[in-house]
Amino acid sequence: MLKQIINESKEIAKGMGVTFKRLYEQPISNQFPDEPVAVYPRFRGRHVLKRHDNGLERCIGCALCAAACPTECIYVEAAENTDADRHSPGERYAKVYDINMLRCIFCGYCAEACPTEAIVLEHDFALARYSRWDSIYTKEMLLQPHEPKYIVIRDDSVFVEAHSWAR
Amino acid sequence: MTNEITLTIDNIEVTVPQGTLIVEAAKKIGKEIPVFCYHGKLEPVGMCRMCLVEVGTPVIDQTTKQPTLDAHGKPIIRFAPKPVTACTTPVSPGMAVKVDSEAALADRKAVLEFLLTSHPLDCPVCDKGGECPLQDLTTRHAAGTSRFDYEDKQHFPKKYPLGDLIVLDMERCIICTRCVRFQNEIAHDPVLAIEERGRHAHIVSYSKPKFNSHYSGNTADICPVGALTTRDFRFGARSWELTNVPTVCNHCGVGCNMVLGTRHGEIKRVMPRQNELVNEIWLCDKGRFGHHFNGSPQRLTKPLVRDGEEFVETSWDEALKMIAENFASIKETNGAAAMGGIAGAHLSNEDLYLFQKFFREVIETHNLDHRVGLSAMLEDDTAYTVGVGVGTNLGQVGKETAILVVGSDLDQEAPILYLRVAAASFKRGAHLINAGGRRTKLDAQAKVTLRYRYGTAPYLAWGLVSAVVKQGLAKDLQGFPLNEDDFGGLPDYSATKVAAITGISVAEIEATAKAFASAPNGIVLFGLEAGHDPSLRAALETLVLITGHAGKPNNGIIAVLPQANSRGAADMGILPHRLPGYVPIASGGGLSAQEMLADGSPIKTMLIAGADPAVESETYRNTLSNLDFLVVQDLFLTETAKLASVVLPAKSVAERDGTFTNLERRVQAFEVGLPLAKGEAWADWLIIASIARHMGADWGYASADGVMAEITQLVPLYRYMKFENLVAPTALERKTAHYIYEGLSFTAEVREGLQWPTLAEDKTAKVPFRFIPPAEIQNPKPNLILVAPRVLYDDGRLLAESEVVKNHLVKPMVWLSRADAAKLGIADGEQVTMSRHGVAVTVPVQIHRLLNEGVAVLPRNLAGRLAEQLVGAGVYAEVEIQPVRN
Repeated sequence: MLKQIINESKEIAKGMGVTFKRLYEQPISNQFPDEPVAVYPRFRGRHVLKRHDNGLERCIGCALCAAACPTECIYVEAAENTDADRHSPGERYAKVYDINMLRCIFCGYCAEACPTEAIVLEHDFALARYSRWDSIYTKEMLLQPHEPKYIVIRDDSVFVEAHSWAR
Repeated sequence: MTNEITLTIDNIEVTVPQGTLIVEAAKKIGKEIPVFCYHGKLEPVGMCRMCLVEVGTPVIDQTTKQPTLDAHGKPIIRFAPKPVTACTTPVSPGMAVKVDSEAALADRKAVLEFLLTSHPLDCPVCDKGGECPLQDLTTRHAAGTSRFDYEDKQHFPKKYPLGDLIVLDMERCIICTRCVRFQNEIAHDPVLAIEERGRHAHIVSYSKPKFNSHYSGNTADICPVGALTTRDFRFGARSWELTNVPTVCNHCGVGCNMVLGTRHGEIKRVMPRQNELVNEIWLCDKGRFGHHFNGSPQRLTKPLVRDGEEFVETSWDEALKMIAENFASIKETNGAAAMGGIAGAHLSNEDLYLFQKFFREVIETHNLDHRVGLSAMLEDDTAYTVGVGVGTNLGQVGKETAILVVGSDLDQEAPILYLRVAAASFKRGAHLINAGGRRTKLDAQAKVTLRYRYGTAPYLAWGLVSAVVKQGLAKDLQGFPLNEDDFGGLPDYSATKVAAITGISVAEIEATAKAFASAPNGIVLFGLEAGHDPSLRAALETLVLITGHAGKPNNGIIAVLPQANSRGAADMGILPHRLPGYVPIASGGGLSAQEMLADGSPIKTMLIAGADPAVESETYRNTLSNLDFLVVQDLFLTETAKLASVVLPAKSVAERDGTFTNLERRVQAFEVGLPLAKGEAWADWLIIASIARHMGADWGYASADGVMAEITQLVPLYRYMKFENLVAPTALERKTAHYIYEGLSFTAEVREGLQWPTLAEDKTAKVPFRFIPPAEIQNPKPNLILVAPRVLYDDGRLLAESEVVKNHLVKPMVWLSRADAAKLGIADGEQVTMSRHGVAVTVPVQIHRLLNEGVAVLPRNLAGRLAEQLVGAGVYAEVEIQPVRN
């Protein structure tokens, strides 16, 4: 009987020991959005359309991203560049480029399919909106450089070392 | 059989007819030999070298003339030291072909690497991307790497306009010359060529205007790379994004099968759909680029009701109620005889059937017609009696067939029919006789050209009948009244007399009669310029009956009808004197369109569906504006609609389903391409059924399919024409010839439609001979005859909505021969005044070097309708001409 009480007290002390040990540690939860969240460089978040150094759009409106998309969340309409109204190098540009973020599963196939590296999945994950319509991202929204303050890029050297991944 | 040859391809034995090429033999066993320049419809040239294979033939012992056998008793095969092009090599007995051998695969890889040395690889922005044979074969056969420097590519200007409709990107071209050969061999417009050689070789067009052909769009289809693309589809969509809907062209009577490539409720492009019995794999530029009316912002979207000088929008219910009340009250006060209807011949069979049912059952009058505009002179029942036999295939007829074309410029009136008739003569050796009053494009392919004076075509036809009888070549004279008294004097049309009237020599008439009568098969085509004279039709009927060219396949008459459903309009009884199925009306029937629209007509109210008579003449316009109540249902606010009391918006052909009957009596179904109609438009059959419902008729049709179901029961000619039969895919053997779908992103099922049999095919019936004497020639030596033919790019409302063909629309101008111009002392571009019966019009002159003297040509249906003012509803008339002097 006594032996049993001692044994069980030991177990309680062991359990509480874990509790007391953690009590004085720094919390790992994050005060979002006041504090930034660190994501790995290859984290796939919200898309961004890139531009060339001279300011022209990289996107040529080929719609291969839409073709690769497993959820059909990308809609592209192409049009022709003219000398007076030039959007991208070459003959063709995207007149309409919409992504429905509610449908997107962030698989990154669009970025993989892109022949000009125009569409890139960057790191923003905070995509909640009050209206469904606000989740349809137009070309103008996607072309804006998008680096929100609440995200920092984490060092992924741990992976590079452990698995000898090249960056 | 002796002309069958057995060979082995990759050790699989195959037996094919003599003369078959290795590519085709391989196709038969499902073995693909990749090609670029080879096309089943074109002559092989062996330019691209993609089809290289190893070919061996058995070693023949010179003493025994038998193949030498090896130890196992098999013939020894000796392979050629170098690879051979499979697309130019015909098969030979015992031949062995290695398609997938190591050497052949290496050759293919090398050829692709070579073809890609100067290809820009801009597949992502290329309109052909996704349905490009070069892309497909590169992923299938190429190495994936190149030994050539990417920077060292030949550069040409991008987006070079080869013609108004076709854009050339020479960097993508692999010089397969399919386009050049198509223009030379099939379209007979040799306007393309290759200039320079080697890496500098490029496609050029020096015609004026550039790429001057009605068939230019086809070159973009058969181009195996993205070098030729259409201006219309440029960057319109990627090929895999399109929804492809099978439909039928609504621009002329040929009834070409097409595919509408739609995306998000918009037609992005129109492609041909293979039907070897109608359009093969071709489409004319009018069909291909003339689809923009479907999505035009000018379309009517809501019912309109007249309020004084203006129209106000209203609801369907209000509009229908108003129409029903007015029709009922006019019927009560003035009687049904004061009501009439005109339906355009481009409505579907279902619309037309309900249109006549509405007038005959609800209104109780026979005052209905479709013969306005281009169809004005048409009263054609030759198709019912001696139309071409069921199973006629102009794409196959050859040496054993004589084709007589009377008074038709097929290249302008029915372009795809032109391709087929020209190919029958040019490729397969049919005896083509082109009879006409002036030079047409078909003359170049005709074996014999007969040039008669305008108006004498019936004399020529009777002359041929007479010559056939006289030469003893008639095969079937049973019931033919040889007696002069019975047959109104056939001897009057002896070759000598006819020669004097028509201006064709006696020898030519006799030779033509002999050639046509002695050919095993005979087909007659007659068109607008023959005058649609009842005498001519009677003569041609007699000609095919006595020569035995009726009631069997590849024999009979084809009337080159102007509109998509001209045949169907006659079939469905949109005629004052006939019920559906050519049943004559015992009481004599009602008023024709011309009587209804004439001055002082007794008509008080009209329903006009899909027709625009007001634009044709001032008389028609006056009559229409004096009506008590006019209802118009159409796509646009036409001139006639502007005079209406109520205008109802109709659905366009792409927004609805239905059937058209083409000029060979082939009934073909078209499907809904754009499920969302413009505004509140309704299908024409629904509009008519709804008016009938408001007037108390209890019809209850729910779909076009349902209307057709009733037609199949009530019109014996159409008893097999249920939608499910019309859309059933065709037999497997015919489908194997899918040249067009090689590389394309879609494969539409081949549907051939159904033809209804003529009276001549009914062995129990006897087609009666009829004789109608030709009209007297008023002036045997006219000074100048003005001809008003139909041209492809006229000022029709539907075509005018296509921005892309705007430059091709024919501007009002009169073509004069050099001799006539010299007589008048006028030069190209100067103005002349032409007058007849007090009507005078002034037009610029274009001197036409191939036109014969005494003939002037001013196409009808152009802006201003000048030709119609002079010649009225006819096709030609004698006119006075005066130069305009400033």
